[in-house]
Amino acid sequence: MKKLQRFAYPAFLLVMAILPNLLDSRWQAVAITFLIFSVVALSQDIILGKSGMFNMGQALFFGLGAYTTAILNAKFGWPMLATVPLAILIPALFGILLAGPIVHLRGDYLLVTTIGFNIVFVQAVQNDLGGVTGGPNGIFGLDPMNIFGIQLANQLAVYYFAFAVLLATLWIMRNLEKSKAGRALHYLRLDQLAAESIGINTRVFKIFAFGLGAGIAGLAGTVYATQYAAVSPEAFDFIQSVLFFSIVIVGGSSIPGVFLGVFIMFVLPEIFREFATWRFFIFGFAMIAAMILRPRGIWPATFGKIPKFLIKESNHGA
Amino acid sequence: MAPNQLILTDVTKRFGGLTAVDDLSFKVEDGQIYGIIGPNGAGKTTVFNCITGIYKSEEGSVKWRGEEIRGMTPYQIVDRGIVRTFQTIRLFSQMSVAENIMSGRHIKSKQGWWHGIVHTPASRRDELANWQKVEEQLDFFNLAQFAATPTGSLPYGIQRRVEMARAMAVEPTLLILDEPAAGLNDKETMELLQTIFKIRDKGVTVLLIEHDMDMVMEVTDYLTVINFGKKIADGTPEEIQKNPAVIEAYLGSEDDDDE
Amino acid sequence: MDIFLQQLANGLTIGSMFALVALGYTMVYGVMRLINFAHGDMVAASAFVGLTIYTQVMGQATSLVAVIAIFLLSAVAMAIVGVILERVAYRPLREAPRLSAVVSALGASLVIQNGIMLIWGPRMRIFPELVPQVYWDFGGVVISLIQLIILGLSLILMVALYLFVEKTRMGAAIRASSIDQDAARLMGINVDSVIALIFIIGSSLGAVGGLFIGLYYRGITFNMGWQYGLYAFVAAIMGGIGNIPGAMLGGMLLGLFNAFIAGYVSSTWADAFTFILLIVILIVRPTGILGERVAEKV
Repeated sequence: MKKLQRFAYPAFLLVMAILPNLLDSRWQAVAITFLIFSVVALSQDIILGKSGMFNMGQALFFGLGAYTTAILNAKFGWPMLATVPLAILIPALFGILLAGPIVHLRGDYLLVTTIGFNIVFVQAVQNDLGGVTGGPNGIFGLDPMNIFGIQLANQLAVYYFAFAVLLATLWIMRNLEKSKAGRALHYLRLDQLAAESIGINTRVFKIFAFGLGAGIAGLAGTVYATQYAAVSPEAFDFIQSVLFFSIVIVGGSSIPGVFLGVFIMFVLPEIFREFATWRFFIFGFAMIAAMILRPRGIWPATFGKIPKFLIKESNHGA
Repeated sequence: MAPNQLILTDVTKRFGGLTAVDDLSFKVEDGQIYGIIGPNGAGKTTVFNCITGIYKSEEGSVKWRGEEIRGMTPYQIVDRGIVRTFQTIRLFSQMSVAENIMSGRHIKSKQGWWHGIVHTPASRRDELANWQKVEEQLDFFNLAQFAATPTGSLPYGIQRRVEMARAMAVEPTLLILDEPAAGLNDKETMELLQTIFKIRDKGVTVLLIEHDMDMVMEVTDYLTVINFGKKIADGTPEEIQKNPAVIEAYLGSEDDDDE
Repeated sequence: MDIFLQQLANGLTIGSMFALVALGYTMVYGVMRLINFAHGDMVAASAFVGLTIYTQVMGQATSLVAVIAIFLLSAVAMAIVGVILERVAYRPLREAPRLSAVVSALGASLVIQNGIMLIWGPRMRIFPELVPQVYWDFGGVVISLIQLIILGLSLILMVALYLFVEKTRMGAAIRASSIDQDAARLMGINVDSVIALIFIIGSSLGAVGGLFIGLYYRGITFNMGWQYGLYAFVAAIMGGIGNIPGAMLGGMLLGLFNAFIAGYVSSTWADAFTFILLIVILIVRPTGILGERVAEKV
């Protein structure tokens, strides 16, 4: 199984690299959204899957990044590429500030406050807060992204931009898993009291998880703004948060799990678009069935990734 | 430099109308193996919870190395060199033995939160150094063959060793053990005894709660006996064995072993 | 002063409806620690069921007997749906991680919502005028018969539920299961029956709430349950989740707050302010105003 995994990742990435050339325009757009949603779902996994916090407001950070890019570009004339650092930092900052007062709340209460933050954001944006958010119609007519002279003028170019962002995210996820901070998130999720009692400042790491998840989602927001050259409030409402939440739970808190989750929760309904009236009805049953059959997700997290020199004799991991 | 002493003075802990710990005072000296014993429900674990920051006692003082630690959070207390194990084992049960022990290295690791995003040569060295410390604990506690096994699937006695290994990975100055022999058979208890002596030889002070009287008499230097949250006696094991108040407290409840 | 009294009247009415729906959430959460996301959609469904009973079964009769029959039949229908929902989507997940049940609830919500759409179509339907449009004007403050009926009937139902839970043996069984399911089982309480009962009660109350929504707003759409359900859930949390008087209090509070924001500030900010209120309440009192009553596993 391990051997399969070692080939599966590069193979999957290779397929994703070649894919857009085989697709028509509509499916290219779907593929780009697949990449963007995967990035957001991975960022959600940091907060929900690894840290165990019931976050149902990830679309807030996704939207903050997208709107930061849109406002800076449309209202202040910044080139799209220049908006990226702030599109990461501003959501990250919000993640830290909003998490502070709520991370100690018990699971379902935290859930409701994250929904609340999401709804406040969407309504503020719809009401054209500060006069810069464009109201219910959003902001459109954004410039194409220009990366050091290369204009992302067509869909294929946007795809590869999104793909690069996904690769960067996967790299960060891998770094996280093999670090003190990443392990701390697992420990505090599995047993917060034990984690505190072994010396982990759980509050700080919970806030870290929110900040990191928010920053990555913000970056995905920039890619979204690039894809559509526009942003609007509905794209970031709390129904989207519910989607990202479900992706992580249905797919499982692992990288293949998240990809599977995005595929099932987003691509499949697209494939069945012709069955417009029936697709979500059936889909609801599918979600129920998925949870009954695989309560921990289709591809749950695994542990036991320890350095080879520690593994003696016949034990080869979980 | 204040000496490695743990001094409890008039510690009182109440839960609503119930006084679980009543005006308790004792002193643990550097290098001792100190025992807290008493009948079931006497308040022993509550005392430990007050020391390690899980509860804050209503009254009294808990001083470690001259510093007041009453009211600190658990992780702050670990940072000062005090680590505990739990009566009901609290391991991270889905994770492997090695990963559990690695959690003990968290506070010793020099990585910053940003190393969760990007690695540097220094952070990689830190990772390696800490996994090597994990290896030391695996060897010390004879757990090397289970390094990659999820702890939830291991026998009880081995899980207890993992919990101690995790605590020792923190390189504590004071190790607090809450009923370390609970659920162990005689052979395992003997091994535990030897392990505790080896830990003391490393320079670690040990404070433990135990019900197994034979083990307590063998391993401890000094004891405090508690009943209904109050101290009823203290002294060496020999003195305690002859103490009439202690004998009366235990009358009828020959605590040879439980679970 | 006019605005104040008017919003007070509106707020009490809306609050009663929120309270009825909130009770369904809080009872399920209290015993099962589960957020029944499908509850809001069940409330919406009852409005459509009521509509159909009116047109197909009652032949569009609006006599008092007919109206009572519509209410009773809708409540029974939704109670049955509620029991089926529990059996299919929640019972298999009793031992599973909590989040799995949440996602199952979300799936059930999709099923019910889209089920409504498949049967009754995606467009807004008009709920029948079961109650005559009678108004009283108190110097600028308009109160309708519908509002009085909603307020009055809701109060009666809430008092009845309170007495049931506090004074009867079945109610004691519910309270016991809320505190500790395992202990309740050991005491001989059939927890499965208790759970079926709370779904029956919660769904019936929600059904009445749904019919009230139809009566009050007249226009009903297949997806109105989501939003409404979310508000009701917020109300339950505000009052203290698992706490039945808390859900009633939370519902009223939320209705009043919503009405006053709509009246004095602007209806486009109503949602945002409501959630800000919720967040502030939770930060100050993490277990809700009246405190929670939920099985706590230490």
